[in-house]
Amino acid sequence: MEQILATTLRSAAPLALVALAGVFAFRAGIFHLGLEGLMITGAFVSVAVGDATGSVAVAILAATAVCMALSVLFWLVIEPLRANVIIAGLGLTSIGLGGTAFALAAVYDTRGSIRTDIALPRPVRGVNEGFGVIFSELSLLVWITPLIVFLAWVTLRRSRFGLRLAAVGEYPFAARSVGINPSVMRLKALLIAGALCALGGAELSVGALSSFTENMTAGRGFIAFVAVIFGAWHPIGAALAGLFFGFAEAVGIQSQINISESVPREFVLMIPYVLTIFAVWLGGLRRRRSLEAEAGYAELREPD
Amino acid sequence: MARWRCPSTRKSEPIDHSVPGERLDESASPREWAVRCEGVSVNFGAVRALHNVCLALEQGRIHALVGQNGAGKTTLARVLAGLQMPDIGEVHILGRPIQGGNVRAAQAAGLAMVHQHFSLPPSFSVAEALELTATKGGGAPIYRRRELERRWLAEVAGSCNVSSLSTRIRDLPVETRQSLEIVRALASDARVLLLDEPTALLTPSATDSLFDRLQILRDTGVTVLVVLHKLREVAAIAETVSVLRDGEMALGPVETATTPQGLISDAIIGEGHYESADVAGQAVATGVGRRTHLLMEEVSSKDSAFERGLKNVNLRIDGGETVGIAGVEGNGQRSLVSAVAGLTRIEGGSIRIGESEAAASSPARRRMLGLRLVPFDRNTEGVSRSASLWLNQSALRLIGRRQGDSPIISTRRYREHARKALERWKVRYESVTQPAGSLSGGNIQRLILSRELSDGTEVLVAAQPTRGLDFAATEFVRRSLGELRSAGAGILLVSSDLDELFELSDRLLVMLGGEVVARFVPPYDRRAVGDAMTGARR
Amino acid sequence: MTGRLSQAAVTVILVAAAFGVVALIMGISGYSVTEVFSGSLQGAVTAKGAPSSTVRWAIPLFLIALGVTIGFRAGFFNIGGQGQFYVGACSALAVSLGWRTGPGVLVILLGTLAAMASGAVWSFIPGYLRVRFGTDEVLTTLMMSFIGMLVLQYLTAGPMRNPAGSGQTAASERIPDAYRITGSSGVSLTVLLIVGVTAALIWILLERTRFGLRVDLAGRNATMARWQGINVRRVGLASFVLAGALAGLAGAVELYGPAARLVTGFSPTVGFNAVVVALVGLLSVPGVAAAALFFGGLQSAVLFLPIVSDLPPSALVLLHGTVALLVTIRVRAKRRVAAA
Repeated sequence: MEQILATTLRSAAPLALVALAGVFAFRAGIFHLGLEGLMITGAFVSVAVGDATGSVAVAILAATAVCMALSVLFWLVIEPLRANVIIAGLGLTSIGLGGTAFALAAVYDTRGSIRTDIALPRPVRGVNEGFGVIFSELSLLVWITPLIVFLAWVTLRRSRFGLRLAAVGEYPFAARSVGINPSVMRLKALLIAGALCALGGAELSVGALSSFTENMTAGRGFIAFVAVIFGAWHPIGAALAGLFFGFAEAVGIQSQINISESVPREFVLMIPYVLTIFAVWLGGLRRRRSLEAEAGYAELREPD
Repeated sequence: MARWRCPSTRKSEPIDHSVPGERLDESASPREWAVRCEGVSVNFGAVRALHNVCLALEQGRIHALVGQNGAGKTTLARVLAGLQMPDIGEVHILGRPIQGGNVRAAQAAGLAMVHQHFSLPPSFSVAEALELTATKGGGAPIYRRRELERRWLAEVAGSCNVSSLSTRIRDLPVETRQSLEIVRALASDARVLLLDEPTALLTPSATDSLFDRLQILRDTGVTVLVVLHKLREVAAIAETVSVLRDGEMALGPVETATTPQGLISDAIIGEGHYESADVAGQAVATGVGRRTHLLMEEVSSKDSAFERGLKNVNLRIDGGETVGIAGVEGNGQRSLVSAVAGLTRIEGGSIRIGESEAAASSPARRRMLGLRLVPFDRNTEGVSRSASLWLNQSALRLIGRRQGDSPIISTRRYREHARKALERWKVRYESVTQPAGSLSGGNIQRLILSRELSDGTEVLVAAQPTRGLDFAATEFVRRSLGELRSAGAGILLVSSDLDELFELSDRLLVMLGGEVVARFVPPYDRRAVGDAMTGARR
Repeated sequence: MTGRLSQAAVTVILVAAAFGVVALIMGISGYSVTEVFSGSLQGAVTAKGAPSSTVRWAIPLFLIALGVTIGFRAGFFNIGGQGQFYVGACSALAVSLGWRTGPGVLVILLGTLAAMASGAVWSFIPGYLRVRFGTDEVLTTLMMSFIGMLVLQYLTAGPMRNPAGSGQTAASERIPDAYRITGSSGVSLTVLLIVGVTAALIWILLERTRFGLRVDLAGRNATMARWQGINVRRVGLASFVLAGALAGLAGAVELYGPAARLVTGFSPTVGFNAVVVALVGLLSVPGVAAAALFFGGLQSAVLFLPIVSDLPPSALVLLHGTVALLVTIRVRAKRRVAAA
């Protein structure tokens, strides 16, 4: 039981952070399918830099910087160059997955995983009984994730910046009519999203495991995206959805260990996806994209 | 301060504004014009939206800007608000020049705009929407909701019927939304308030209270510029009126009180000679043994977001007859065409195409019955700009089942057929594989006609068939419609060009608010038709 | 035609740019770019068995990309090819494991039909939600894809698991050799015939039937198509079903061809790569065939490369990603005007 709770919290923190990233992008009207790629990049860079410098702080900063740089690239492609946001986002994911695996091979000459001695500090240590076990396993990032969620909520729901971002995503004309440049707002949103993905990835690698494995995000970026939809693109909703999916993951891991025959773990893992389809359907989520919403693909490509 | 004149004014009408300079001589402080633009031109690609527009409006009065749809009113309003960058020309708000298309500069100069379709995000609460659009106030980047609502409550109180500031924008009735737009416009201390067709979606009583409101504002020194459609409303509210026609100022700001309405509606509709009687005479001559090609009885449909629905519309078109639909745009013409085409469901009534009841038929079935359509917007509804000419030309051959067709078609035959049709219609093109978007507007319209005026035309619905076309193309389209009519088809012509309607129609119906409010037969009385359109006479 | 040609030129340039970026990264990482290049050429074309390996990897890409092409042409972002491919393969496996004594031809035929039907169902669900309720198909096809992966994982780890297999990765039993249409090379006359006939049928459907022209018009401009009396919903739904059936067929061909058994998470990126292939192939059947051969060749080259260079296979994933990032860039002459 304690084990499930601890695993839930540990699994949920990166999901919640990356889901927040998705919320920021979604609020600005971007379907961000590159979350997975940014997340694994954050995971890799923090291990690699941490290993090289021996400093967790530098590692996290470097991961953040790299993810933000990739976000700028993404923005360049979808905004000024007007590439399709879905395809480019999936491309970003592949770049992240392929690039980190490639770097693993090129730098460390390995195809599997690398370990590092550095790790995020664990504020509560040495408690080895009862519920204390739960807390002693959690890294600093897990502890401050609620704070980040709160900050994201303030930024999105209680600040003028958040209002402007929401206007850009929901009704760009409203934004333009009060002198807001939607493209610049999207860049800001993507930069924040990049930083959050870096944190989520870092928690996964230097927070929980102190190692990096090829493809270690294993679709968590997409789960986080699902959490965005599931949480009705509200920061707290998305974070709670992340918590729920973390719980599902924990149960999945447990049932794998216990080999419980009653409910196959795959069916547990399916729940988020099935629920998402229902949520998207019932929520009547129409195409809410940053680019021309209704024109067909060919008409989109037309140089005019 | 000298009487200001647009450097390029070419109007014969005297510019009859009492000049502020004269009034203010005593104070010796020259008062600026509230709005002044000089030589403003805007082009959208090949389409000329505004051409060399000059306008100067006094402070502290209510000004109206009128004109037909497509005359450039909204474009001009957007230029003033800094939303649209003019190609050339200058805009000054209260004496401050607005550098090309900068919304913030226009706001800083003191102008605020209330948009036609509103600019408040639907999912926002009232307080959030106001905070979003406020250029000052607020201050702190982070707010608390209750404090935000309290702050805005003071602004909203009395001027706007909102029960709670946490209500979502989308849940508000139209008139409340509009008064909110005005509140938010004034919250930025605007001295010039610009309203783009504020009455389009309002009930008469809501219109009245809007006008009361505007007058109160005027009394506090705010300059109001309001874009209107109906002359009745102009007379009710505006002190001066300016008329745009085809992107040019047709009538400078003139005093509403001293200007006859006829002069204004002439300026809106445009002068020009027209023939009508002879065409109608022919119709009677060829009308032997004809039958009804389109019959609509008591057809009603729901209002859509931007357009009135139909209210008990009755319409009959016989073979060899052209029936014209006149009306200020947005009064149900689009609903009428959609109802005939089967693109929207009708709520009641019957539609017969030829011999068949078609109210429940699919659009494809109606096409098979002989319905042909020239849509309102040729670029989005008439053709696919990225698809090839031959595919666009062949679109009607893609629907329905035909006897004896093999499942595999010969695209060569389709191309050949398209090539012949395009040549017959004198479309200027290089290759049938080039995309339709590469043609000029006139040639796109010819392409559409070449497709729609094919064999078996029972009734043709032509919506704005000549809008934006040059003289030659316009003549070509009108002649084609005439030939089709002589060949015995029925034509429903929807147009905002009265000359065109007078020239081509055997009968003329005027739509207002989704209803047919007047019916005319030749010879047409321009004044009477104009009055019916603008609601000056019911 | 000039439009098509210049589009093709832009696409070639963008793909070349992606190659340039990846080559640069390889160079910086200390790989010999020329070595990798010549090794790739060997692995894709000149080495013994390379051409057939190229074709083997091109086939699933091609079949799925054909489905993506139909979807995109009809104006829908059906990106759930991966899941449709998996459920297709699973259905084919279920048929062949369920009827072990049946005659080969019949089992294969039945299994293929089952694969196509299940792929079509997998695609129909998001398609119906899209045309009926306007539910975003990007999300729903993506979700169906993940569910499909889990279905495969469940079957290979559970009901269809090979009890004799090693504990490392879950895999199904092998299907009897009688039910296979190729050897492990993945290329045989039967397979080429199946793929060739499919491609020809799809080409005819898209280019030489009224349905295909309707798809084209509806996808380019649905509003215009509606005015022309085309039932845009029906066309859209048909495009989803066809796309699913093609991905399902790819699954069946993979199983009855080179794979012979299903391993959990096999070909994990083929669905996404097929989207890239369809876009690079400019949504035309011959173009998609060429692009599929090209990317199939790259796949084959990457598998060959360890022999000549130590380039990791992830370089290919990186390349696919870069191509996807760039391929939809639009070169615009004019700035857009502010319009409502």
